[in-house]
Amino acid sequence: MAQIFPKWTNQVPRKILIGLIVLLNAIIFGVWYFFSPEYTDVGYAPEQPVPYSHQLHVDQLGLDCQYCHTSVFESKQANIPATQTCMNCHNQIQTDSDKLALVRESWQSGKAIEWVRVHNLADYAYFNHSAHVNVGVGCESCHGRIDKMEVVYQSEPLSMGWCLDCHREPEKYIRPVDEVTTMGYQVENQLELGKELVDKKNIHAPTYCQGCHY
Amino acid sequence: MLRPTARVAIINNVKDSEITDQQMSEEVKQTTYWKSLKELADNKEYQKFAEREFPENATELTDGVSRRGFLRVMGASVALAGLAACRRPVQKILPYSKQPEDVVPGVPLYYATAMPVHGNLVGLIAENHEGRPTKLEGNDLHPASKGATSIFNQAAILGLYDPDRSRYPLNKGNKATKEDFTEFAATHFANTGQRIAFISDPNSSPTYNNLKEQAKSKFNNSTWVTYEPFGEDNVIEGNRIAFGSRLRTHYNYTNADVIISLNDDFMASTHPNSVEYAKQVSSRRKVTDTNGEMNRIYAIEDSFSLTGSYADHRLKLKASEIEAFTYALAAALSSRINGLNAFSGYSNQFSDHKWITVLADELAANAGSSALSVGSQYKPEIQAAVAAINQALGNTGNTVNYLDVPHLDDQNNNQAFADVVAEMKAGNVDTVVMVGVNPVYTAPADLEFENALSNVETVVNLSDYVNETAKKTTWHVNHTHFLEAWGDGYSYGGALSVIQPQIQPLHDGLSEIEFLNVIVNGEMTSGYDLVQNTFRGFFSSGFNDRWTNILHDGVGTTDNFNAVNVRLSSDFASAMNQATSNVSATSGMEVVIRPDATLYDGRYANLGWLQELPDPMTKITWDNVALMSPATAEKLGIREQAAGKDITDVVEITVNGKSIKIAGWIQPGHADDSITLTTGYGRDGVGRVANSYMDYTAGGVNVYPLRGTQNMFFASADVSNTGDTYEIACVQDHHSLEGRVLYRQATLSEYKENPDFASFESVHTYPLPGLGEAIENGDDDGPISLFEEQTFPDYEPQWGMAIDLNSCFGCGVCVIACQSENNIPVIGKKEVKKGREMHWIRNDRYYVGDDADSPQAVHQPVPCMHCELAPCEQVCPVAATTHSDDGMNQMTYNRCIGTRYCANNCPYKVRRFNFFNYPKEYLTTGDDPDIIQMAMNPEVTVRFRGVMEKCTYCVQRVNRAKIEAKIETGSPKPADGTVKTACQQACPADAIYFGDISDNDAEVARMKRNPRNYQMLEELNTRPRTSYMAKLTNPNPALA
Amino acid sequence: MSKYQYVPEPALVKGDHDFSSLTRLVTDINLRPTPKLWYLAMLGANALLMVMVVAIGYLIWEGIGIWGLNNPVGWGWAIVNFVWWVGIGHAGTLISAILFLFRQDWRTAINRFAEAMTIFAVMCAGVFPAIHVGRIWVIYWVFPIPNQMQMWPNFNSPLLWDVFAVSTYFTVSFLFWYVGLVPDLATIRDRATDKIRKVTYGIFSLGWTGSNRHWWNYEKAYMILAGLATPLVLSVHTIVSFDFAVSLIPGWHTTIFPPYFVAGAIFSGFAMVLTLMIVARKIYGMEDIMTNDHMEKMNIVILVTGSMVGFAYIMEFFIAWYSGVEYEKAIFLLRATGPYAWAYWTMMTCNVLSPQFFWFKKLRRSVGFTFFISIVVNIGMWFERFVITVTSLSTDYLPSSWDYFSPTIWDVLTYVGTFGLFFTMFLLFLRFLPMVALAEIKAVIPQADPHNYDEETNEYVAPIVEVPEPQSEKV
Repeated sequence: MAQIFPKWTNQVPRKILIGLIVLLNAIIFGVWYFFSPEYTDVGYAPEQPVPYSHQLHVDQLGLDCQYCHTSVFESKQANIPATQTCMNCHNQIQTDSDKLALVRESWQSGKAIEWVRVHNLADYAYFNHSAHVNVGVGCESCHGRIDKMEVVYQSEPLSMGWCLDCHREPEKYIRPVDEVTTMGYQVENQLELGKELVDKKNIHAPTYCQGCHY
Repeated sequence: MLRPTARVAIINNVKDSEITDQQMSEEVKQTTYWKSLKELADNKEYQKFAEREFPENATELTDGVSRRGFLRVMGASVALAGLAACRRPVQKILPYSKQPEDVVPGVPLYYATAMPVHGNLVGLIAENHEGRPTKLEGNDLHPASKGATSIFNQAAILGLYDPDRSRYPLNKGNKATKEDFTEFAATHFANTGQRIAFISDPNSSPTYNNLKEQAKSKFNNSTWVTYEPFGEDNVIEGNRIAFGSRLRTHYNYTNADVIISLNDDFMASTHPNSVEYAKQVSSRRKVTDTNGEMNRIYAIEDSFSLTGSYADHRLKLKASEIEAFTYALAAALSSRINGLNAFSGYSNQFSDHKWITVLADELAANAGSSALSVGSQYKPEIQAAVAAINQALGNTGNTVNYLDVPHLDDQNNNQAFADVVAEMKAGNVDTVVMVGVNPVYTAPADLEFENALSNVETVVNLSDYVNETAKKTTWHVNHTHFLEAWGDGYSYGGALSVIQPQIQPLHDGLSEIEFLNVIVNGEMTSGYDLVQNTFRGFFSSGFNDRWTNILHDGVGTTDNFNAVNVRLSSDFASAMNQATSNVSATSGMEVVIRPDATLYDGRYANLGWLQELPDPMTKITWDNVALMSPATAEKLGIREQAAGKDITDVVEITVNGKSIKIAGWIQPGHADDSITLTTGYGRDGVGRVANSYMDYTAGGVNVYPLRGTQNMFFASADVSNTGDTYEIACVQDHHSLEGRVLYRQATLSEYKENPDFASFESVHTYPLPGLGEAIENGDDDGPISLFEEQTFPDYEPQWGMAIDLNSCFGCGVCVIACQSENNIPVIGKKEVKKGREMHWIRNDRYYVGDDADSPQAVHQPVPCMHCELAPCEQVCPVAATTHSDDGMNQMTYNRCIGTRYCANNCPYKVRRFNFFNYPKEYLTTGDDPDIIQMAMNPEVTVRFRGVMEKCTYCVQRVNRAKIEAKIETGSPKPADGTVKTACQQACPADAIYFGDISDNDAEVARMKRNPRNYQMLEELNTRPRTSYMAKLTNPNPALA
Repeated sequence: MSKYQYVPEPALVKGDHDFSSLTRLVTDINLRPTPKLWYLAMLGANALLMVMVVAIGYLIWEGIGIWGLNNPVGWGWAIVNFVWWVGIGHAGTLISAILFLFRQDWRTAINRFAEAMTIFAVMCAGVFPAIHVGRIWVIYWVFPIPNQMQMWPNFNSPLLWDVFAVSTYFTVSFLFWYVGLVPDLATIRDRATDKIRKVTYGIFSLGWTGSNRHWWNYEKAYMILAGLATPLVLSVHTIVSFDFAVSLIPGWHTTIFPPYFVAGAIFSGFAMVLTLMIVARKIYGMEDIMTNDHMEKMNIVILVTGSMVGFAYIMEFFIAWYSGVEYEKAIFLLRATGPYAWAYWTMMTCNVLSPQFFWFKKLRRSVGFTFFISIVVNIGMWFERFVITVTSLSTDYLPSSWDYFSPTIWDVLTYVGTFGLFFTMFLLFLRFLPMVALAEIKAVIPQADPHNYDEETNEYVAPIVEVPEPQSEKV
């Protein structure tokens, strides 16, 4: 009886099997990586209505974060400054810069400047700035080197796993409260210092759901 | 991924709102958040999401198209979920341009204000988030509130954001502006000679009453009538008969050892002073140890009332029999104490009734420390008799005071109203000015108010909705909500408060003082100035400080109405002789008309929260019914409602030729040959929630047609079974405890003999299974457990709750407070009928006792028990419900995939599932969704379709307190009492205790140490953190 | 003449069949052109399948609310149908694996058939757990996949055990079935005349030549898989029963559930096999292979398992009373007397009463009656699951929460629709695969026994059964 299949087909089943295994793993890995905020969100840098440069104001002029984001120590939100805040200086400096046209307009009309949100947590994740900065979580730890950003971008995944990394081992990231706004804070004995701070501040970062979700 | 929430959306889009800073609100330009939210709603991106995720249809959802769309709005669950859909939407942050002082974005502000209820103020505190009030709570400093609220106070916040409110003045039905109206008023009311009839809600505002006097004097041909369908006029008239002057009766139950209610439901929210009274009565029933004493409450009534269910003894009588009963009681007393000679020798069919003797003895024994009250709907003579009895007992000054209330008119308003309507009919009135009232709907049918109105040339009214009356006017002006406008007034007991607006008027409009001022002075003056002028009068010296204080505290220092030192008037006796000589009692079937427990006279009919709040006794939502006793039902052939079948028989009720058809309902403990109806339903064109549909889908039946001037309260009626049926949405099908010891109670004396009567061992006669073994293993937390017990770290507070069944009287305010605090949707009659109610805390009502005709009714609030060994947690496949370190059973909405296994496995059945996307079509209803959105609590996630939800112990409040404590003290343990759950805060009986049970001095810990404390279904070893304190009754041995 | 009589074991294959006639009988079905009737049946099945697709589509679009579920009753028809289908999915593997290990040769007539049914039934069952969740788009969270949330599923949850139990059962049953198919597929391949058949059957017969080595591997593999499948038959329904038994709801929280569920499963499984077999053998003229003897044997299994189920029902009552737990007592009384009494007594009649008729040989061998009972039994088993799931939930601990469950049209359509899926698959099976395990059935006919050949001529000589005359003892 004539052969239906050529010889090479003997190998086919084996190949298919191996192929499937590889594909399956690829899919799992793909979901795990490409669907994670690590991949999707980091680096999000929308254009802002007013080309405000943190690089200029923070790094060169040395403004402290809290000069504008005043409520960070007492509220869950680190507020976006009111136009007023800009005008404190800019009614003397750069009074006719076109870049600031929108700011001056807002100041006249009382109409808000529509900044584009960069760091955007899921709606069901409750985050409270005051709870973090008051125990020594640096601005930098979540927002990155703002002082080096011409345009603000998201530098950390802000994913649940990423949060948990710190909530599980705060000592790795914690710093003295007066260093919170410092950019590029570095100590070589972070671990032991961290442990000290954790004890001193009696830090028990919640790792149960309700710490953030309700 | 879809996300069940809109917290961020709300915050960001309301953050930009121009805040209405209290002290300067009249200068603030309005609108801003409108704009931003409109912009948001217009955002294309956004609508795409909205449309994709909230498709049309879902006829299962609710009843009727307009209603459907709307319920979702009233359900007030935000569809901004759309914002957080798969693709990353661009979100705008709009900071202030000029940041107002003392506003820190993200930190709520609390301001004192007050709510007028039937004209009397109840002091409130409003929680504001970036300029929008989101929650109302009682004001501890205010005597009529003492930190608690009634269901109407709680629901007021929804009233503010109700998209169906009247939005602009109407001139003969055409849209107009308030300037147009001012113009009209200036010219029209320039003619001071015209014959004007003012018909007004009762109003305690001094500013308002000044203007009222001005009006009376300016328009020399005017008559002024205060109309209130369920007013206090009878009481005041009664006091005139008894003491010769029109006075308000104000009880002080804190001093009363014996309380007798003659068909007076003074604890229910429908009573103008319910909160204060409930506080007082329950405060005398807090038994902390075996030395505790309790007051004793008797209730004589026709229908089962909250007061009746709270009483130690209850006697059912037909409403019409109360009169005879009262006189008989007076007569019986006249032989025991002095001062009731008017009744000596009198006797009637009740004179040798067992109760008369018992009550007479009881009163005589407790002379001076007893309180007798009769329903305010009874005619003045009965009121007078009761007043005389209290006077004779020497209760005056101790348990009851007679207040001289300056703003009460010197006329019997019920009579005056009838007269004025007659005048109108006769065409002797040129202009009618109606403030707030809705007589076309509520006036006694025989007055034919609507016809009368048609004989009047100019009709002007001010009301919240374009209601039945507003539709018949030449000029309708939209009324501002009390949270939008300045005002003032007195509490029932006479405490002076300023009504402080929390937000700029959403729809402009006029407050009643501004309105009246326009009419009197023909010009627009801001309420702020009007109120300040009044108070300049009050505070002659140091105005600014005292003004700031009253704003800050929400209540002035003692400005009480003075309690009159009364003496029985000389012609009291003759009045009584006349009254007792012709006592009328309806023979045969009688029908009784009461204000509805949740909608009152109908003014709250458009508030979804109240429509869906189960009636405290019947547990019926969305409808009114004809209540009758089992015997009467049998006589009429009305079937008992079968398990799970919500079909009921419809009866036809005819009174003086007028008849209505309404569903019959069996109410155990109801008087025989008597039928109770409630008002407020059967509305037409008021709002989409209130509106009724003739095909009986919802909305109930209007019973006012049966109400006449001669029978405001009860009348004899013909009742017949029509044979039609009607579907009722009742949230509790089963009314018996089936002999299960879920609810435990004992008499005070039994408790003193055996304080542990509520323990597992005492009720079951055998020890808790598995406990012995556990203790052998050195574990005394509870019985041995298969599961590994969680260890709770000591650096965390351990939250727990105790509910004192001895205080709870079932008013249901906890349910509404919870709904308001936790963004719980309203789902509509159809869904409720399917048994899908969403309330996180429910109030179970059981009938107990052997006598089926007059059983005892008990109330048991059931929130999540937060079991330490929670059955729900074991079975969730994705760990969406787990346990927190501070001992709470957490529900993580965003992790939930909706298997409903947890709800199945919950023995207490407190978990609620989002069967549909209840906020569906939220942005596409075209009802300015942003309005309802503003009622949302931004601290609480709005749940999406397909997720489970349940009581969280108000975790948002707990966590806020923990964070604040951590920042201040370095420990996440807030001081005892700093965290109050919404239900606890609202409860007028202080029945709910919440706090850190690991702190021995905490109140809740003390309560849990009380021997009355027990756990429901303890034998299941779920270790609930919520426990109950068994009820105590204080029966009179003579009646046992 | 003695009062004893020796009855020889009846031949498994009736009529005088040899290898080639059997081959023709079975494989011709797959080779001859498709009959009209088949297309008609397929049309009906597909229509139903569409119903299912629509019902599920609307469910996902609209939400679980389109079903009749409410607050106390969180599980309704979906779970009932799931358990019912899984139960049906029991017979196949039981017949093929367990009876194989017990060397029950009569299984060969029906095992292929039953296994196919099993696989399709499990497919139908698998539909429900997936669609009954509120947010199907995140259902993958039940699988332990690494993710940015750093969350694992809750391994304590019986629902999770279900996921694994059912999927394992499906996989193994499928492999078992396929391995069994290989030699027969090869047969068809070799008989096929057209290219397409040759190639397709060729691919799936994995180059089977029937060499001794192939047979040797085949037998080993089959034996191993049978060994693997056997415990699974018991484990699947045991674990399904845990969904209920592990919870603390009265009427669910019962230790007897695992054996009782397995018995019930076999009960309904055999009934379903009978239903299908009786129809199929008529249409395809398989009476010689699927004989009334088979039917009778299966009826006996139904009788036994049915009685076991009945025993379990009574035992539940006894334990409820014996436990002294008031809630347990209450729920069982409520089942028999409460709002769902109608469902309870339907269950009792169908499951406990109806099989008892099989005590009578006449009825056991009556085709019509068997067919009738087989359907009654499956109705009864559906109601068993309904009674367990719904009554317990609707009247549990707190009387205040008691509520009545009534299904909506969508509950019904979804259920009916799954029959569409089932029959579509089954019709495809009948058309394209040998419905009898050819290689195995050949091994049980006398021709397969070398002793039945004449030494010299190698002619087949039909065996003679000798009946020894027993000694009649003196009185």
